[in-house]
Amino acid sequence: MRWLDCLAEGSTRAMAKRTSRRGFLGSLGGFLVGASGLPLLPVARGAQAAESKDPAGKPDAKADNTQDPTSCDYWRHCAIDGYLCGCCGGSQSTCPPGTEQSAVTWVGTCHNPADGRDYVISYNDCCGKSTCGRCLCNRNERDTPLYAPFESNDYNWCSGSSQANIPYHCSTARIVAVAK
Amino acid sequence: MRSIAHLGVCIVGLMLAQTPVRGAAPLVADPLATVASLPAVASPHWIWVNDFVFPHMPDGQALLVDGDSGAFLGMLSTGFSFGRLVPAKDGKVIFSPETYFSRGTRGTRTDVVTLYDPVHLAPVGEIVIPAKRSSNMPMMANSELTDDGRFLLIYNFTPAQSITVVDARSRKLVGEIETPGCALVYPTGPRTFFSICGDGTLLDVRLDDSGHATSRERTEHMFDVANDPVTEKGVRIGDTWQFVSYGGVMYPVRITKEGLTLGTRWSLLGPADQAQQWRPGGLQQLAAHAGLNRLYSIMHRGGPQTHKDPGREVWVYDLAKHTRIQRIAMRNDSGSIQVTHDPKPLLFSAFIASTTLDVYDATSGTWLRSIEHVGTTPTILVTP
Repeated sequence: MRWLDCLAEGSTRAMAKRTSRRGFLGSLGGFLVGASGLPLLPVARGAQAAESKDPAGKPDAKADNTQDPTSCDYWRHCAIDGYLCGCCGGSQSTCPPGTEQSAVTWVGTCHNPADGRDYVISYNDCCGKSTCGRCLCNRNERDTPLYAPFESNDYNWCSGSSQANIPYHCSTARIVAVAK
Repeated sequence: MRSIAHLGVCIVGLMLAQTPVRGAAPLVADPLATVASLPAVASPHWIWVNDFVFPHMPDGQALLVDGDSGAFLGMLSTGFSFGRLVPAKDGKVIFSPETYFSRGTRGTRTDVVTLYDPVHLAPVGEIVIPAKRSSNMPMMANSELTDDGRFLLIYNFTPAQSITVVDARSRKLVGEIETPGCALVYPTGPRTFFSICGDGTLLDVRLDDSGHATSRERTEHMFDVANDPVTEKGVRIGDTWQFVSYGGVMYPVRITKEGLTLGTRWSLLGPADQAQQWRPGGLQQLAAHAGLNRLYSIMHRGGPQTHKDPGREVWVYDLAKHTRIQRIAMRNDSGSIQVTHDPKPLLFSAFIASTTLDVYDATSGTWLRSIEHVGTTPTILVTP
């Protein structure tokens, strides 16, 4: 099979000299870099923390994104798990067009650094279409296991919604009240 | 000059390789419509990688991989918000609780248990079940068989909570058992299982031979839900379910003739581990091997809110002595682990944000191989 090795090597060298190939690889690399720069699963955040030797696994301290609704670091997102509706045609409190907001959901208590208050946040899912696929975010402050449902972000809260029933699209983060 | 000489060798090699062999018989035509199949008996070193394909949830998948060779053996298409496969105890059929909509993501919802032939990886039947199957981050405890394999138990959440019972022998729906305030399924015998309740008790359920509930009783308070809850990702060894808390405390739930009892709690973490903020985490964070009596736990360093984070180490414990006997350094982030049941077990590791499946010797901890491009968002690892 040595001839095959030679062929592969020769082809690779030849390909590497072609700008079109480099362009393709460059695009792929750009995509991968871009993807890794997106807000990712919590798990990914945890992985990033591990790489940076940050044992607390906290968000990027260099940038203050706590007031950006399209950022995973947005203060209301302290217990969210899913795609951010603000990146999907809706907002942090509005579902994207053509979807239905779940009536029941899980709640979290998040601290707003801008006014120093804690708020009860309701993470109503938006339902009725396939997953949005943009701005995936998962944070788990005070998140409980599935056997304590109303503080668990591991359920698809489109369950039981009157019309949409189960298809999950994205998640909102509505202020319910100031936490007492 | 060296590169020119190398090129010369290549050219000569290619010329020789492309020289026709006179007199050799021509290649025969390939037959049409040939389809591969698998051996009747699965290897103990195969693994099902379940994938709910989060970016495209209608397209759930289960992918079968051979841990010895690294070969990708085949896959199943398993519908919307897929949880995991439940292979029959005798290995002759695979049960898969699934959800479908008549128009892809809308229309009439139908939930079924699809039966797959494990040799041809093709559907051979289905059982329509109540359209209530819980849609959640996949867990082993979403669906389980009773110890004798007779009844398949499936967790429902609408958000009313219940368990669907399917007769795996007659392949018919039995009915539904309401479990208000209690979630998931943990088998404890041929006709018994429990669910975990939001107040830290267990719901101990007993079935008759037709699969209907004869009793549902709450146990005493077992878990500290408010301060340090156990995760729902327990593993069973013999007559004990092992649960771990966010903070690394083990809660053994023993199955006795008198009922379910809580054994002596113990910690995965010593003082030095705690000082360094080591913590268990992950989606399928625990694994166990009954023969070795060992527990495997994914570990990372992080604060109290990191109970779902992946780890770069797996710690191995002797369950008789409650002592750590090994720390396995993982090559990649690990969020889900599984150990095969045979005497020379493999340790599989996957991560929902990666498509690389890693394989280790579960006894020595030695890395054996990594298999690339397995699924999209791999969740739960299941042995055949």
